[in-house]
Amino acid sequence: METRLQSNAFRQCAEAAGSIMNPHLEAWLAGGGKAAGYFCSTVPEELLAAAGYLPFRMRGTGSDSTELSDAFFSSINCSFPRHVFNQALRGAYDFLDALICINSCDHVRRIYDNWIRNVQATRFSTVMSLPRKVGERQVAWYYDEINLLRKQLEEHLGIEITDDAIRRAIHLQNEIRGLQRRLYEFRKRERPPITGAETLAVMVAGTCLPREMYKELLGELLEDLEEAEGGGDYRARIMILGSELDDPEFVRIIEEQGGLVVTDSTCYGTRLMWVPVDESEEDPVRALARFYVQSRPACPRMYGNQPERIAFTRKMAEEFRVDGIIGERLQFCDNWLVEHYMTKYDLREHGEIPFLQLDREYILSGKGQIKTRVQAFLETIEG
Amino acid sequence: MALSREIKERSIRRYKEERDWFKLNLEAAELLGTEEGELSARLLRILLEAKERVVDAVENDKPFIGGYFCNAPEIFTSMGLPWFMVMETPFLAASAPFILEDIDGAEEMGLGSDLCTAIRLPIYYIENNMMPIPTCCLGLIYPCDGAPMLHQVLMHNSNWKNVPLYSCDPPYTSDERAIRYFADELREMTRFIERHTGAKLDMDRLVEVCERSNRVYTIWQEYMEVRKNVPCPHGWEMGGAQCFAISQCFDVGNPKSVAWFEQLIKVAEDRIRKGSGAQTKEGWREKVRLFWFDIMPYGWIFEFMPWLEEELGAVIVNDMFGNFPYSLIDTSSEETIYYDLAKRNLVDAPMIRQARGTAENFSEDIRRIVRDYKVDVVIWPGHMGHKDGAATVGIMHETCRELDVPFLHVGLDLFDKRYTSIDEVKDKVVTFLEGHGFV
Ligand code: SF4
Ligand code: SF4
Repeated sequence: METRLQSNAFRQCAEAAGSIMNPHLEAWLAGGGKAAGYFCSTVPEELLAAAGYLPFRMRGTGSDSTELSDAFFSSINCSFPRHVFNQALRGAYDFLDALICINSCDHVRRIYDNWIRNVQATRFSTVMSLPRKVGERQVAWYYDEINLLRKQLEEHLGIEITDDAIRRAIHLQNEIRGLQRRLYEFRKRERPPITGAETLAVMVAGTCLPREMYKELLGELLEDLEEAEGGGDYRARIMILGSELDDPEFVRIIEEQGGLVVTDSTCYGTRLMWVPVDESEEDPVRALARFYVQSRPACPRMYGNQPERIAFTRKMAEEFRVDGIIGERLQFCDNWLVEHYMTKYDLREHGEIPFLQLDREYILSGKGQIKTRVQAFLETIEG
Repeated sequence: MALSREIKERSIRRYKEERDWFKLNLEAAELLGTEEGELSARLLRILLEAKERVVDAVENDKPFIGGYFCNAPEIFTSMGLPWFMVMETPFLAASAPFILEDIDGAEEMGLGSDLCTAIRLPIYYIENNMMPIPTCCLGLIYPCDGAPMLHQVLMHNSNWKNVPLYSCDPPYTSDERAIRYFADELREMTRFIERHTGAKLDMDRLVEVCERSNRVYTIWQEYMEVRKNVPCPHGWEMGGAQCFAISQCFDVGNPKSVAWFEQLIKVAEDRIRKGSGAQTKEGWREKVRLFWFDIMPYGWIFEFMPWLEEELGAVIVNDMFGNFPYSLIDTSSEETIYYDLAKRNLVDAPMIRQARGTAENFSEDIRRIVRDYKVDVVIWPGHMGHKDGAATVGIMHETCRELDVPFLHVGLDLFDKRYTSIDEVKDKVVTFLEGHGFV
């Protein structure tokens, strides 16, 4: 991707985010390492890491059509699972030893059903049952779900996944979360040294690189950013609110129009790392259950905590001195359609930050329309 | 916080219009002079009684509930509480004259056109204060993404903000652990209702209601056995939808519902004895046995279903609402009652059953129905709201291929005839049936 950043660490992250296979993943596999794919940010990737896997967050990067998956999905399905499944049918995910799905949304949950019937290369696959509500009974349910997965993986791999291994994985992931938050701190500056598109590439890389190594890269990048010159040439500071956004190009289009993306609440952004897993909890699995059901900033797929979600949006907007919020949404996504409807209402009701809802397809199309709408939005902000 | 008279009056206006529309339907059914007409008339009278109970509760400040068929209505009906479904209008009154206008209203509010119409409409009603505001509400947060979003809007709305809301959390699995978890959710729901309505659950009364509802489920199952007959004794006019409305919505565990089911099976058995099928009009006979794998197209049912039968001889022998395991409730203890209610409501309830969990429910239902009902063709209407089903189309197709039975995926809106025009749907069905030599 195009960048002004003089950073080798960034270059490696961008390369990893730009395709499904990356050199470090290749080396990991060549060295006998295994990878486990997972859908959605509510699968406890720490458990996969504790089992010795490289956890790989599923994406459709590089897909240019859905010619194969069209036989399994319909035109009213979100383009994200359709492109990912197309990539799987093309064999791009044959390197996975395991796939962990979750009942995240009506579209993604069906990937599991189609996968087990049509992708033979994956040796182990399962679907986890994530509750909708966020109470104590739900934490207890998900605790059992994680332990079930732990047992299944132990059987599949012929190993024991110890509490200590899980604690270590949590600790490492928390360290990564801490570094990512430091990365976001740079974006609070008047002249941030890193753009929104670049940040997204770094965040995506954190879901497909060996995690120890990613942590090192993040450390290097933070040092590079201390030295880097900031860019102040923008018309407005923008926050992105939305879902499965793993394509830096979408953010770049917004930034090209003069809307510098300085923060977000998305599946690859702050919702992943703004809050750490509680390491003081005695039982690490319970800590994971509580984190994924209750304490991490939630997406609208969880039920009943819209007030907390809008509060998080407001907090991010305030901390990063945001001028406008773009609510992106993949077409046919019911969760984000209604969420944006409520967000728009809440922000308007309090005469707060301008809000633009922008529907898109997973593989970027209609760039011209996106540009026009963003330009008009920036004009509104500028008054 | 008490609602002002003005808010209350407005909230019940559309509900009353719906009631009046059903009264017209009742008059029409009474004039039909057919057995289906008589059964429909009895059903409509039961439905109208339920509606009157809600109107009375609103107008006289009595406790009533917003609820759902899959929230174990046996519990709150046994407590004597009137209730209505938050998503009632699209499912029951989708062919009422005001519906299309309301759908447009929802779209104008920014709810787009790809959100299930059965979700958009209630959001529109809630946001415009066009729905009765209950004493407390029992939400529905499955089987689709739309349902929990609808109930989050409900919590968000200024008139509803103070309406206590409880929703049972649905596991994705259906094993014993899932059922026990759901039973605990139902127990919590009972405590919630007691807290907010002042009504108390009387176990003896609940046993009575469950036993009556067991009787209904038993006859329903017998009736579905009778429908396996060739020719099928009833077509689209009588079947799953009506049985569902009586047993799970308007007359749960009531003696009238038992009587209605008894008449239903009697009519069906008489027809079989006489060797006649569903044909209520001269000049057509059953030529194609069809499994309509969804709910009926309520928004345009009268413009499509008679045509299907009379023009093509295509009889819907089963549909999504007539197709589930009819689990009975073991009333021997509180424990068994809650466990079985959880099973019935989580695993059996129509639409919930297919859409909540993994795709096995789709393929297994197709296998069972095609075999047991001697089905010639399977039609998956492809309702625009059923996005999990849309992502199961390949699996359904494959299942039908294995069974050597033709499969058609249409792509439509069950509630809005403008999404795919009725002519287009008809064309697709005719081409499909012609292509397979049925017409
Ligand atoms: S964007 Fe919405 S529909 Fe698409 S995968 Fe995410 S939650 Fe599902
Ligand atoms: S009709 Fe289907 S998609 Fe629409 S609300 Fe019901 S279950 Fe959900």
